[in-house]
Amino acid sequence: MSRTVEFDVHHVTRVEGHGNIKVRVKNGTVDEVRWLVPEAPRFFEAMVRGRSWEDIQTVVSRICGICSVTHSLASIKAVEAALGVEISRQTDRLRILAHYGEQVESHVLHVGYLVAPDLLGQKSVVPLVTSHPEVVQTVIALHKLGNHMMEVLAGRKTHPIRLKPGGFAKLPTEAELRDLKARLQAAVPQLEALAEVILSLAGELPDFRRETEYIALVNPPHYPFYHGQIGSTDTDERVPVAEFERVVNEYVSPQSTAKWTRWHRDAYGVGALARFNLNAEHLAPLATKVAASFGLEKGCTNPYLNNVAQLVEVVHVVERSMGIVDELLEAGIRPEKPHVEPRAGVGVGCVEAPRGILFHKYEFDERGRCLAANICIPTNQNHANIQKDFEALLPEILDEEEDAIRLKMEMLVRAYDPCISCSTHYLDVEFV
Amino acid sequence: MVAAIAVLGLGSPLMTDEGIGIRILEALERRADLPEDVELVDLGTGGLRIVHEAAGRRKLVVVDCARMGEPPGTIRRFTPEEVRSRKVTLRWSLHEGDVLANLELARRLGTCPEEVVLLGIQPERVAPGLELTATLAARLEEYVGWVLAELRPAEKAGPERA
Repeated sequence: MSRTVEFDVHHVTRVEGHGNIKVRVKNGTVDEVRWLVPEAPRFFEAMVRGRSWEDIQTVVSRICGICSVTHSLASIKAVEAALGVEISRQTDRLRILAHYGEQVESHVLHVGYLVAPDLLGQKSVVPLVTSHPEVVQTVIALHKLGNHMMEVLAGRKTHPIRLKPGGFAKLPTEAELRDLKARLQAAVPQLEALAEVILSLAGELPDFRRETEYIALVNPPHYPFYHGQIGSTDTDERVPVAEFERVVNEYVSPQSTAKWTRWHRDAYGVGALARFNLNAEHLAPLATKVAASFGLEKGCTNPYLNNVAQLVEVVHVVERSMGIVDELLEAGIRPEKPHVEPRAGVGVGCVEAPRGILFHKYEFDERGRCLAANICIPTNQNHANIQKDFEALLPEILDEEEDAIRLKMEMLVRAYDPCISCSTHYLDVEFV
Repeated sequence: MVAAIAVLGLGSPLMTDEGIGIRILEALERRADLPEDVELVDLGTGGLRIVHEAAGRRKLVVVDCARMGEPPGTIRRFTPEEVRSRKVTLRWSLHEGDVLANLELARRLGTCPEEVVLLGIQPERVAPGLELTATLAARLEEYVGWVLAELRPAEKAGPERA
């Protein structure tokens, strides 16, 4: 074959924080295929140094516009581990509910606003409003449910103000929880409708497979987002989250200023597909049924199916949320105030962000001032895996049109939904 | 029922002047004289929520950091129709935000009110940092005045002190 293909896909931007795809193919041979990513925002670690344990959540909740509850919870768990704080079962349940709200919002937005247009042959969600109004309305309704869960549980929707070390600054009322239960129930048929639409389009997802290592929290018999140990598809060993540094093995890649990670291989994947591959047998009944309808099974090695795993997870967390609300209502909401005494210590907090496993680690002095911080985000853990996917994918699709190659590579990046451009967003306008 | 007017603050307060929309919102929260039927909404950088926050309103006031080719600290009032976005988004990730595109989505969904006003503030510096630059910090009350002017039904746009 004598194909020559060259393209770069990148942002025109003045701010760092975006990824580029670089492809050079000469005479049918791949000369270069690279996933180039500048620094993801590590400067947050410097920002929290010197601050009190009480202020950490406020800062880190702003790291990401999508995953503010997740970053809040990881930081709170780390602070509690460092300061030896015990929390009530009520607090634990309410946090998991808030966290489920974020999974719903993020996954629904991702599948509905980013992936569905690809599958329907559109450039964005905007034309879908006219061409497929019922799909868009379903996505909007489910997005609203996720928002509502976070508002009721965490306070201000994007930047939670009620989640605190030790407990909640303000508790939801039982009336709010009863209303939430009704909304969750009403979402079930909407989820079934969305699953049906995506299933009818799933043939558009490229059939590409590459074996890799998958890493996620495990906590049998649960499908965990909040509790558990670190598990891998390459080993039966389960690692306590406090020892996460021997799993992530951060290193500096020459093609990126972001730190990359590896454990048993040269790359590993995190996110919905990783969680599914480690925990699928613990999914709730309807989620299990949805996964089966797509033929999604443990051991799946097609990264594009991360989007299907996200859909399965939305169903799962809605089902589990109803059970948690029932448990809370049965016990009744008891008033309680967080109580924390500062002390010297080191703590790690780990939760599953929608995009994959997330670690926060802090060290405090005896007054509770932060001496050191380490935040290891899922997007950085996926970079090496995206690179390895590119290296395997490109030779397989070289005989396709350049536009098709480009689309498949962009869809692959989208499948991971990397957090690469979130720290700034400002308007950039010219007057007309 | 939702409040008739929403003030939507956007930005990241971890990136110096990029967080001006949130800083203005915080300053408004401290005011005792906010008119009734006004809700302050912190959108952070999660812009798609605008689709829900726009619904059922009579007016939106969007407060945001904006590159407009003006001297740092300049505030300008405009409507979505008066500007063209220069942002290039690849749709790779939910983390890209373009408030104008999201407003357009809300408009197509029928959730966007007719009256949408943007107040853009030209940044001096967009880089990691928790504080505004002195240039913008010194004018914070003036910016708050521009927002308050949008909330008064009888008056047209313009700063409170003008």
